[in-house]
Amino acid sequence: MDAVERENADRQKRWAKEQKVGEGTYAVVYRGREVATGRRIAIKKIKVGQFKDGLDMSAIREVKYLRELKHQNVIELLDVFSSKTNLNLVLEFLDSDLEMIIKDRSLVFLPADIKSWMAMTFRGLEFCHRNHILHRDLKPNNLLIASDGQLKLADFGLARDFADPGHKMTCQVITRWYRPPELLLNSRYYGSNVDIWSVGCIFAELMLRTPYLAGDSDINQLDTIFRALGTPTEQEWPGHTKLPNWHQPSTTYPKTPLRDLFTAASADTLSLLGKCLVYEPRKRISALEALNHPYFFAIPYPTHPSKLPRCAAQLASRAAEEAEGGDIDKMSTGPGVKAAEPNNRKRKLTSPEEFRVRSIARKLDFTKQANSP
Amino acid sequence: MSTTFYPLASLSQITKTPSREDGIPLELEEDLRAYGCKLIHEAGILLKQYTFLLFQNRKQVAVATAQILFQRFWYVTSMKQFGIGDIGMGALFLASKLEECPLRMRDLINVYDLLLQHSSHTLDLSPKPDSEFKYAPMSYFGSTFYDLKDALVVAEMQILKRLGFNVQVVLPYGSLINYLRVLGLTNREDVLARAWGYLNDALQTPVYALYQTPTIVCASIYLTTRHLRLSLPSKAPYCWWDLFDAEWEDLWSVCGYIMRLYRERTEEERVRVKRMVNKKEVRKWLEENVDSDANAKQDIAREKDSGSS
Repeated sequence: MDAVERENADRQKRWAKEQKVGEGTYAVVYRGREVATGRRIAIKKIKVGQFKDGLDMSAIREVKYLRELKHQNVIELLDVFSSKTNLNLVLEFLDSDLEMIIKDRSLVFLPADIKSWMAMTFRGLEFCHRNHILHRDLKPNNLLIASDGQLKLADFGLARDFADPGHKMTCQVITRWYRPPELLLNSRYYGSNVDIWSVGCIFAELMLRTPYLAGDSDINQLDTIFRALGTPTEQEWPGHTKLPNWHQPSTTYPKTPLRDLFTAASADTLSLLGKCLVYEPRKRISALEALNHPYFFAIPYPTHPSKLPRCAAQLASRAAEEAEGGDIDKMSTGPGVKAAEPNNRKRKLTSPEEFRVRSIARKLDFTKQANSP
Repeated sequence: MSTTFYPLASLSQITKTPSREDGIPLELEEDLRAYGCKLIHEAGILLKQYTFLLFQNRKQVAVATAQILFQRFWYVTSMKQFGIGDIGMGALFLASKLEECPLRMRDLINVYDLLLQHSSHTLDLSPKPDSEFKYAPMSYFGSTFYDLKDALVVAEMQILKRLGFNVQVVLPYGSLINYLRVLGLTNREDVLARAWGYLNDALQTPVYALYQTPTIVCASIYLTTRHLRLSLPSKAPYCWWDLFDAEWEDLWSVCGYIMRLYRERTEEERVRVKRMVNKKEVRKWLEENVDSDANAKQDIAREKDSGSS
């Protein structure tokens, strides 16, 4: 046993693996605990050796970028160790994601809640962009929610660093509903503004409580976007007709003001949303500019993360947690749990068991993506 | 300018590398490291010819990254355990994924097979030096491909595992341009070319696993200015390398590593290195050259060690 293996064994002892919670193409996820503190963690066991191309690209990307990124609003990679033939990533355990919260019909979102989630999303994204990393798969179910209410960007399987100017990148990224028009038109040169479009879609989805631009195929997606935001003109988006996949659409949709759909939104809200959903990628707002947008400084101020709505499953899993062993809460911030209690009463408890499995399984369940984009 | 840092080997790893612990002498280890890096480089050049044009500039980055990962690897693993050929191949494969220009396994394996054949050819031919090298492609039904493929997958895994997934690499070229600009040396093309060359050659030495890029870049500029007889303020308290946070002792040590690369090797040394591309030969060499008694003792000690833990 050489020094490396000894060290590895020591590290392995720090984490206890519990039940399996999900499985994906390149990994199996287990729930676990840090032995010393009892803190809950997730262990992602990467399958090795069954692939003809060696280790999966997304596994490599995910680890590469998570090793570099440490931020309050980005999921934290706590440790990496290997057992006999597997690699294990130890990640923070997060009970739920934004999609579950959006879908939970019993929850009411205040404008301040939406502002808070948006602020956390932009903060995490700004950090990634500042470190020259594109996320390339932002969508509500990749925005995980921690037990203290903090939102964290997760799933860096499609992330990459900015390419050199003039270097082609793949346009087959980002889940369709959140994919910006330039990628739908097969642009191979793009930058951090692709992520901003996705955030814009998420922003709209938070207000509408249903996906904003839900196309049912790649071609239909573009049509959906144009119908919602108007067909772009040459002034609005110079050069878009020269992109590889451009076909002159048969119908030209007029521009409808965002106000028509988002009737209850404030002027600031619509201004920021509009700036995220600009056709011309270079004119789209950057994450840093977005954080300085008046929207975030206007009343109502963002809700404190601990007071944000949470979904039933999350609370149920926490309740189960407390029942089985009381000492975990020393890690989490106390007020978070207390503040959530009033919410708990309002909510119909849907079968928590089903949700609990989904909470992490969803993130890795690629079979699902085949049906819904 | 990039301010990211990357992990370095620890002092104990440097003073006693795993290979030295197994009885491989310092010079031999350095030569084997350099040869492994050279193979990576050659493979990179050959691969560039049959991949698409658009990946060209990216591929160079992958080669440099692979060489750095390769150097790091030998601070956690002994050459008795893994061969430099296999690990070099694995490093290049992994680096191609890290730098977003994934290679096809078959291409990489073909190229390595050719390189290894070529190197064993040059060994055989010492008596009759003018016989021409002819590459014999792998047989279609033979096991060579599958053996190499297995070795490749294992190597990739082992690199990731043993480096604890610390695969961030910072390349020095951007800093070089900036530093030369600060020093007002950009109008001299020979300065840039030479310093750039030193940085490339340094990829064959362990320095990228030992020092951060500013130190290495300063060393390359220092060697260049010495060679071209350019004078820069170098007397305390005004030393130009202070501008870039490099320490004199570190800088001097990097220069030493680079210059040792140019040492004239004897024919015997050259042949010895080429022969030891895989671990079998390394083990054989150790058996022949290192006191077998001491070896046995070491093995016993190790068994005890693993038994107790």
